[in-house]
Amino acid sequence: MDYIAQGFIRSIELLLSGDHETYSAIFTTLRISSLSIIASLIIGIPFGFLLGYFEFPGKRQVRAVVDTLLALPTVVVGLFVYAFISRRGPCGELGILFTISGIAVAQTILITPIVISLTATAVESLDRRLRATLVALGARGRQILITSLMEARYAVLVAAVTAYGRAISEVGISMMIGGNIKWHTRTITTAIALETGKGDFAVGMALGIVLLTFALVVNSSLTLLKKRS
Amino acid sequence: MAMHPLYQINNLKYRYGQHFELDVPDLTIEQGSSIGFAGSNGSGKSTLLRLLAFIDLPEEGDIRFDGALVAKNNGGSKRDVTMLLQEPYLLKRSVFENVAFGLKVRNDRKDIKSRVYGAMELVGMFPGEFARRRWHELSGGEAQRIALASRLILRPKVLILDEPTASVDQQSARLIKEAIIECRSRFGMSLIIASHDRVWLNSATDMVKRMHEGRIVGTGAENVLSGPWNDEGNGLYAKRLADGQTLFVTKPPQVTAAGVVNPSDIVISVFEPDGISTRNILHGIVTHMTMERDSGDILIEVDAGGLSLLSRLTPSAVQGLQLVPGKEVWALFKASAVDWY
Repeated sequence: MDYIAQGFIRSIELLLSGDHETYSAIFTTLRISSLSIIASLIIGIPFGFLLGYFEFPGKRQVRAVVDTLLALPTVVVGLFVYAFISRRGPCGELGILFTISGIAVAQTILITPIVISLTATAVESLDRRLRATLVALGARGRQILITSLMEARYAVLVAAVTAYGRAISEVGISMMIGGNIKWHTRTITTAIALETGKGDFAVGMALGIVLLTFALVVNSSLTLLKKRS
Repeated sequence: MAMHPLYQINNLKYRYGQHFELDVPDLTIEQGSSIGFAGSNGSGKSTLLRLLAFIDLPEEGDIRFDGALVAKNNGGSKRDVTMLLQEPYLLKRSVFENVAFGLKVRNDRKDIKSRVYGAMELVGMFPGEFARRRWHELSGGEAQRIALASRLILRPKVLILDEPTASVDQQSARLIKEAIIECRSRFGMSLIIASHDRVWLNSATDMVKRMHEGRIVGTGAENVLSGPWNDEGNGLYAKRLADGQTLFVTKPPQVTAAGVVNPSDIVISVFEPDGISTRNILHGIVTHMTMERDSGDILIEVDAGGLSLLSRLTPSAVQGLQLVPGKEVWALFKASAVDWY
């Protein structure tokens, strides 16, 4: 048991001393997850709103597909994106394999269905009186749509935070698309996997503490937002 | 002021599912008038109001507003009409933002702060206390008044209210009435109100139209009695009230028919009468009293076993009987006093 306690003490020392390698993984994780969450929100919120607000033929089928994609395994996304962006793939000339951009693209594919599905649910759950109220107050066309989205804002934020939580904690995509390159594409999760494999529990634990802190912040935000929505 | 028709309705029809159909062959509402619609649940009041507010469009027939045919694309005239829903919905923002919303969507931001505060004061909400509150920090009555303020600030040509007093206390009901009457006299807006509270409705409007099963069946403060009726023999039909009392009528055209009793035909007694020929002697409690605007008579609302009855009495009769809300009374009327639709 000693080595676990020693690893824990060493991990605190690494975090407090500002260890470059540890913080490189932390900042890389933050960069990638920020890129992927921004992209997924830009794509997912409008699609989710349209899916939740309007009735159209095939809506249930589209919804079923989106909901199925919520359970996408990260390694499957990693596999397909790898096939597309590797040299032999149709997007190979982009040269984004083993880069932060490559990981961000794959993570966007992973988390966009979460944003779409939860946004659609949020919009579907809007109060039935909202539309009549907006019409009665003189809102028209785009004003009705924008105000309706604003009314669902806390639930949409829940979608964003849930998606962000998925992005920072995934390991399969980061490993397959990023290649776990030190100082470059090594993220918290890939570093933990590597260091644990090497038997260096201290670095793994330090990064684990950071990841748990992120998870705590994400979950606290979720609880707060769910209360408000 | 010369009156001119604001709404002209011809052969209006609207269906909900397979059973309910609103059918208004002809209705004209004059500009500046204050009209009430009374009727039981499912009588079509709310459906008619939503059509008059342009929230829904007629399936058959047409509505002309200010001479123009109402259609999907004439958004301009639609902004002259606003409606307060039965259960108000406040946007998830501050009270101030809720009241200001209608002005902002019209891009009318001139003196917005003073106008919002003015509208809030009109409904008895002090801006200093309430303007910054969030939507969920209000009671039901306060939310209803803020929803009303958000309509009044728009100074619409027509203000439509659906059951505005259904879920508010007496003070809020009074403040709502005062605010709409004040706005009507100041800005000349027309009022269209649906309410179960017939006493409140009579005191807030010039004319009350009664609705039953999707049709306008009459005008005035009359009591609607609806079936089903059980044949008791000897030409008498009866309906059991919730507290076990029995209501008697004569000759309904069908066992499910509805009829009306004029409030002037209902006599009030403060003692249980004995040895009289009147079949209906219903024990109840006075729930509301109000002065009828045109006649100066007093309308007394009595709850008898869940049945709400209006009786029209002279002020001296009310004084003589020392009637006050909460007093036990007996409402008397002949079984033959019912006029059938």
